[in-house]
Amino acid sequence: MISLYNYKQDLEHDGIIFSFSGPMSHEIIEGIGSAIRVKIGEGKDGDRKAALKVFSIFVEQVENVINYSVEKDTTGSDMSFGIVVVGKKDGLFFISGGNRIETEKQNKLEDYLTKLAAMDKNELKIYYKERRRAEKAEESKGAGIGFIEMARKSSKPLEFSFRKIDDIHSFFTIKISI
Amino acid sequence: MENLEISATKSSPEINFNASNYTLSMIGESYPENTSQFYESIYKWLDDCIASLDDQEMVFNIELIYFNSSSSKVLMDLFDTLEDASDEGKNIIVNWIYDEENDSALEYGEEFAEDMEALTFNLVEKS
Repeated sequence: MISLYNYKQDLEHDGIIFSFSGPMSHEIIEGIGSAIRVKIGEGKDGDRKAALKVFSIFVEQVENVINYSVEKDTTGSDMSFGIVVVGKKDGLFFISGGNRIETEKQNKLEDYLTKLAAMDKNELKIYYKERRRAEKAEESKGAGIGFIEMARKSSKPLEFSFRKIDDIHSFFTIKISI
Repeated sequence: MENLEISATKSSPEINFNASNYTLSMIGESYPENTSQFYESIYKWLDDCIASLDDQEMVFNIELIYFNSSSSKVLMDLFDTLEDASDEGKNIIVNWIYDEENDSALEYGEEFAEDMEALTFNLVEKS
């Protein structure tokens, strides 16, 4: 019989409150999202403002996995695979998400996120409003402003990384702190 | 014109558009699975409503606790449509209703309001 105890201990050691790895769906957003809001927002130490911010980043990250992960269920459901974790460390909540991308898309994404990470709050606001009114980019499946939204809510510049998986794929990770 | 009534779900707002007295309300959360599909019928109704509006006042009460970035873009398009109609002389009022504890809702309301000139866009704290 396997035990998940060590795995759970590792998560707790990293301050992780929720972790989900696997096929993502809208139901995951609604279900885990509600649990996050209750866990962070209610009870005697509840922080409703933080709960709503964490939830909003969680939604954007899961939607990104659904829309852009190239790791798909092969049994016909077409669900996208990825990982998202929510935790708290050193007094800050963090939401981190990851999924497989095509390495050829890495440079463009890296440039874009580097640009966002260097912007201050006012620049992000102006850019957000500009992009919100713009025609959406061809490759964009949502409104194309999810990362700007995340950067605006983040109390630190957004953090991200890419790790090569094989000849054509890399693993993309993003982390937002609230 | 018929009224438009859509019940709230966990991720989409309650819609109550009354065609006889031109009062519209949108209450709840907005992060539907398919944003453009959800808002399509709302857009269509609103277009027809604006077209039928003479000198009556149209009041649109919006009370959104949370909306995702896709919904933010749809709302912007919607307010731009109302702004254009106001510019052409239609009498439209938007009341953006927020809870004092929800500073994101207030902030986003302020940002929509900043971009509106002809449209009356009120920020209303929930009592």
